[in-house]
Amino acid sequence: MSLLKVNDLKVHYPIRGGFFRNVVNHVKAVDGISFELQPGETYGLVGESGCGKTTTGRAIIGLNKATGGEILFEGTDLAKQKRSDRRTYVKDIQMIFQDPYSSLNVRKNILNTIAEPLRNFERMSPGEELKRVQALVERVGLSPESIYKYPHQFSGGQRQRIGIARALTLNPKLIIADEPVSALDVSVQAQVLNFMQEIQKEFNLTYLFISHDLGIIKHMCDRIGIMYHGRFVEEGTADDVYNNPQHLYTKRLIAAIPEMDPEKRFEKTHLRQSINEEYRTDYDSYFDKDGRMFDLKSISTTHSVALQ
Amino acid sequence: MKDTAYLHDKQLMAKEKVNNPSFMKTIWREIKNDKIALGSLILLTFLLLAAYLSPLFIEQADVTRVYMGNIYKAPSADNWLGSDDGGRDVFGQLMLGARNSFTIGICVTLIAGLFGLTVGLIAGFYGGTVDNIIMRIIDFLMVLPSLMFIIVFITIVPQYTVFNFILIVSAFAWFGKARLIRSRGLAERELDYINASKTLGTPGWKIMFFEMFPNLSSLVIVNMTLTLAGNIGLETGLTFLGFGLPTGTPSLGTLISFARNPDIVQNKWWVWLPAALLILVMMLCINYVGQAIKRASDARQRLA
Amino acid sequence: MLKFILRRTLIMIPQLFLLSLIVFVLAKAMPGDAITGAFAGDPNATEERKEELREKFGLNDPWYEQYGRWIGNAVQGDFGSSYMYKQPVTTLLAGKVGNTVLLALFTLIITYIIAIPLGIVAGRWTDTWADKLIVTYNYFSFATPLFVFSLLMLFLFSFILGWFPIGGSVDIKIEEGTWDYIVSKMEHLFLPVMSGALLATFGTIQYLRNDIIDTKLKDFVKTARAKGVPERKVYTKHILRNSLLPIAAFLGYEIAGLIGGSIFIESIFSYPGLGQLFLTSIGARDFTVVTALVMILGTATIIGTMLSDIILSIVDPRIRVE
Repeated sequence: MSLLKVNDLKVHYPIRGGFFRNVVNHVKAVDGISFELQPGETYGLVGESGCGKTTTGRAIIGLNKATGGEILFEGTDLAKQKRSDRRTYVKDIQMIFQDPYSSLNVRKNILNTIAEPLRNFERMSPGEELKRVQALVERVGLSPESIYKYPHQFSGGQRQRIGIARALTLNPKLIIADEPVSALDVSVQAQVLNFMQEIQKEFNLTYLFISHDLGIIKHMCDRIGIMYHGRFVEEGTADDVYNNPQHLYTKRLIAAIPEMDPEKRFEKTHLRQSINEEYRTDYDSYFDKDGRMFDLKSISTTHSVALQ
Repeated sequence: MKDTAYLHDKQLMAKEKVNNPSFMKTIWREIKNDKIALGSLILLTFLLLAAYLSPLFIEQADVTRVYMGNIYKAPSADNWLGSDDGGRDVFGQLMLGARNSFTIGICVTLIAGLFGLTVGLIAGFYGGTVDNIIMRIIDFLMVLPSLMFIIVFITIVPQYTVFNFILIVSAFAWFGKARLIRSRGLAERELDYINASKTLGTPGWKIMFFEMFPNLSSLVIVNMTLTLAGNIGLETGLTFLGFGLPTGTPSLGTLISFARNPDIVQNKWWVWLPAALLILVMMLCINYVGQAIKRASDARQRLA
Repeated sequence: MLKFILRRTLIMIPQLFLLSLIVFVLAKAMPGDAITGAFAGDPNATEERKEELREKFGLNDPWYEQYGRWIGNAVQGDFGSSYMYKQPVTTLLAGKVGNTVLLALFTLIITYIIAIPLGIVAGRWTDTWADKLIVTYNYFSFATPLFVFSLLMLFLFSFILGWFPIGGSVDIKIEEGTWDYIVSKMEHLFLPVMSGALLATFGTIQYLRNDIIDTKLKDFVKTARAKGVPERKVYTKHILRNSLLPIAAFLGYEIAGLIGGSIFIESIFSYPGLGQLFLTSIGARDFTVVTALVMILGTATIIGTMLSDIILSIVDPRIRVE
């Protein structure tokens, strides 16, 4: 059974206008997407900024309200639950935030930051709590006495590790990683990513990995979903998407990855030009008359594309 | 073994504390570096000590008792600042009044501050419809001519006591604070540490008071100090007009209200002038200290 | 734009309704009613006679009928009559409102005459001795309570130096309409106006100084300098145009402060205006006058705030988004 099954998820925001501020239209941030996560895998959500990937992640964890659709976590629909019932699943789903600077409360030391979920869910004596936090801090590669320090005394990479430690505290099953390294230096990115892979095995985690960086997604993810304007464009294994892109948008996206080998640069330019040509001529077969994507159609057991 | 580990932690904690000066320490450093602010603080402390410790030297019953043979005496060795229409010692009343006025100013500031803080945090934390409703109400309350309303309330309240007075004034003193905290709270709620707390299952009220509030605390402290002066001014002003503290609880305003009689203004200045000057000095001192605290709360403005 | 103005004006309706409701409830909560007031000190007034009159004037009707009648009359300018002055409240107010408006108007004008040049000087020549002096003055005007300051002004200039009259709005011996009459009026106005204005400059100076300091560093000002606009023109054409406009809009917001201030000032300078009337009426328990005053001045602040909001939205388009 899949760990998480998202079914026709919709997150719409009303646009108010006119004299009485009534709803005149909706921004369809997420407009009917479906995907499944198997236990232990890493699923990547890719897309340009504003395509709805972050909103999807936030809707799954409950920071945004889903307007429609189902979010089935181990068979229970989270979208229809009240906030109070949802608390039971808080332990199982956690999130790593994009910005390591604003995601830690500057007024709280690391001990209090990491112990926050423990205090919410587990009754522990201060001694036990201290031990647990120190163990976590050590696991993410910081010295145990640093728990008395404050966030501003750490570098970005260290802060992100603290964020990860906090997410791990409750032994979750699913972690939603929202652009976890995009605010970090490139040199630190690899460290944090490899560390995330290590703990995935150790804690038997499932990741929903949200990013706009195709390179990182390729490195991290088993399966990938490409989003555009709140819809899925293409979904498949990393191999399917990178080596056999079917949708025009995916092709353009993959073609935009810079080529390091000068020999192949010329080849790549030609590829881009041909895709551009296709974009001009065959636009209508990829998007319907409103510019909206079609529903996904599977073209192999693992690969599906939004085609007519 | 356990004890030593604990001790070790304490030492570490202490060491880290040195590296992270608290807001109070920053304030102190800022005040020390500003000679006028330091002078204001010392003068204010001296005045308040004198006022609050005066019961040790001056009999309160003595101050409020009428001596018919001693009416409107000019300052002398017996009555340092002369006496009033009931032959009461003005200096004693001045000390008593300063104490009452300051205490009431503090009470009003705390009650209004607490209420404004709670309302502001709720509006800022929840945003959306909750914020909209609260803000419409505050917008309305802010356009009311509050001084008139306070006076009307004071006149019609059935059992008029000091406590009622404090409540009435506080009821009209929290709007600005709520608004200020709400606007900062709205900015704060967009930050991920609030989202993180939500995903960690922390209940809303806990996030409001233990996550959001500490990040706004310097704002609150600054605002409270500056409004403290305003509230003392309001109380003494109301008492001056005759709508302040009930008779029997002298305030600095009580002494100044003698000045509504031209003869006293001109010929018996010792009754009202010292109180007027004392208020002036207190306001200036509190505000100066308040400005220093304000600078301390904003790293760019610090002098130290 | 038009939509914003219309919506802002519509918000005023529930505000005015709420205000009238609160004032009505307060009026009902005030001890005694018009009948008790009217017969105060009259030994012939029996309880039966009073009850009869209460029935006749509808004081025993349900509250909403009374409210409807009260608000209906108020809209037509009928606020009942004062028992203390034995005349309709509207007539009573008409005699005083001119004085208060005059006081408020002059206070506003003087405030701006003092505040605008000082604000500009402090903002343009930051950290000079002039700036420091202005900042100090501003700090004093913020910290000083109005009633203490007015009292000290009165004591110093009227009692000790004897330069100005100690109270009233005009010398009663002088005939109305003559030049001397105007001079005497001005003499009586001078101290109250100065006391109010010298302290009211705080907001404007602070705003102007901060705004000019901020604008000085903006890129469009640097561009103007870079293309060789003379320094004086940088200020008059580029900076001040931006900074001064909103001040016009703050006028309406000042009304609330002026009303509060007039209560203190008119009481201290025994200036016969609405503030003093409010105090004497409430002291004499003449509640018809009190309710009328609260209602009228409350309406004035609500309208003033609305005007300010609208002017500000015209001057600064960013506010309109909301």
